[in-house]
Amino acid sequence: MARNSYQTQLADLRGEVTAMADTTRSRYDRSLAVLDSGDAEAADWIIEQDEDINQWYLDIESDCIELLALQQPVASDLRFIASSFKIVTDLERVGDLATNLARYGREAAGELVVGADIGPLGDTAGEMVSDAMEAYATDNAELARQVAARDDDLDADCRAASEQVVRHLMMTQQEGDRSVDTAVDDVSRALLTIRDIERIGDHAVNICARTLYMVENDDELIY
Amino acid sequence: MSTQENSQKLISTEVQVDERTHDGSADTVVSAADLSVYYGDDQALSDVSVDIPEKRVTAIIGPSGCGKSTFLRSINRMNDRISMCRVEGRLQFNGKNVYDDDVDPVALRRRIGQVFQSPNPFPKSIYDNVAYGLRVQGKADDVDLDKEVERALKQAALWDEVKDKLDSFGLDLSGGQQQRLCIARAIAPDPEVVLMDEPTSALDPVAASKIEDLIEDLAETYTVIIVTHNMQQAARISDKTAVFLTGGELVEFDDTATIFEDPDDQRVEDYITGKFG
Repeated sequence: MARNSYQTQLADLRGEVTAMADTTRSRYDRSLAVLDSGDAEAADWIIEQDEDINQWYLDIESDCIELLALQQPVASDLRFIASSFKIVTDLERVGDLATNLARYGREAAGELVVGADIGPLGDTAGEMVSDAMEAYATDNAELARQVAARDDDLDADCRAASEQVVRHLMMTQQEGDRSVDTAVDDVSRALLTIRDIERIGDHAVNICARTLYMVENDDELIY
Repeated sequence: MSTQENSQKLISTEVQVDERTHDGSADTVVSAADLSVYYGDDQALSDVSVDIPEKRVTAIIGPSGCGKSTFLRSINRMNDRISMCRVEGRLQFNGKNVYDDDVDPVALRRRIGQVFQSPNPFPKSIYDNVAYGLRVQGKADDVDLDKEVERALKQAALWDEVKDKLDSFGLDLSGGQQQRLCIARAIAPDPEVVLMDEPTSALDPVAASKIEDLIEDLAETYTVIIVTHNMQQAARISDKTAVFLTGGELVEFDDTATIFEDPDDQRVEDYITGKFG
């Protein structure tokens, strides 16, 4: 095989993107745990460690630019590098959203849930990211399509959860067992949490879109 | 000028062109059908079929020995000059099979100019190099030679650099200028097709980029067919790309963007990504 060094660099790039995804997923899972526990120390650690993910993203982006400039890739190699370049941006955003969730959990001090069970939503979004990355890592276009199709259900569940949160607000206000300011803070935090989980699902879909382009030159999910 | 009128120009005697030889496509200027070329017992091209569109840049790429240059030479019958060369199948220029007995190769080459790998100006003045083709064709008295030389040099993006020294020796120019002079010489007789066989491989990057810009401009007037070993060059300047692989097989022909983004054939994918060859 010609250009052995180049082929090694391509394999390394895939390994780096996949490793970054594993770490990002791990941070996200910790954030979901903080939503339940309100563990301030764990939340601070997640927020501080996000700088590592940001730097990892910049390093991989730099690797992609170097490959484009020096190896002038074409065909499937070009699509792979271009897709990797975009996917790390989504992973970096997932990392940012994980820090948001950690903040919400810390602020709520373990009492975030206001009339809606957010846990399953968080798990679904996390599984979508992991499955999208599995599709990327294994060139599995079919899996990418399946994961993307799951986003409609997540969106619907997130809408339903948001309605439950608002309904809960109205009911508790009628009961008069909390101050208005406290209720607004709780509801706002819960709605932001649901919104960020829904956005994580969107990033999973973006990863699927780039994976489909990478594997099949199919841009149906990009546009 | 109609396709039939063009075809008649290839024929040394008054022979009626058979309408059935026309492929009916107004966009196709060169068309190969099951074209095979042999050098003795060695087959250099194997059943090549391709329609090359007019006023576009078509790049021909592939590993050494795949038949790229053989295909190029078969278009204007430069292969005739190689002993033991045998051609089967059809190679049509404007619907006329150039290997028909009634086709004059010299007349054919007036319509299909060629630029070679290394700049090869004649040991003459810049002016005489460009005027050479018109004089050989006996057109020197029919046209304003000064005007035609200026036109060709401008089209070759060389006029501004040489207009004050047209009597200078062509070989005194730089390598890049010499190659543009050769392009001016090729297009001075106003051919329809310009064949280029690795025209920048002997030039530095700056001179090569000037030639690349020039090739894109030339395609507004002429059909350009270029053989290149430089795949990035093919990607940069061509509209269509033909990929030949070992054995003289044309494996894929498509829009250049398709070839370099999503080729159909796995062998092409492997070749252009460097996994083969």
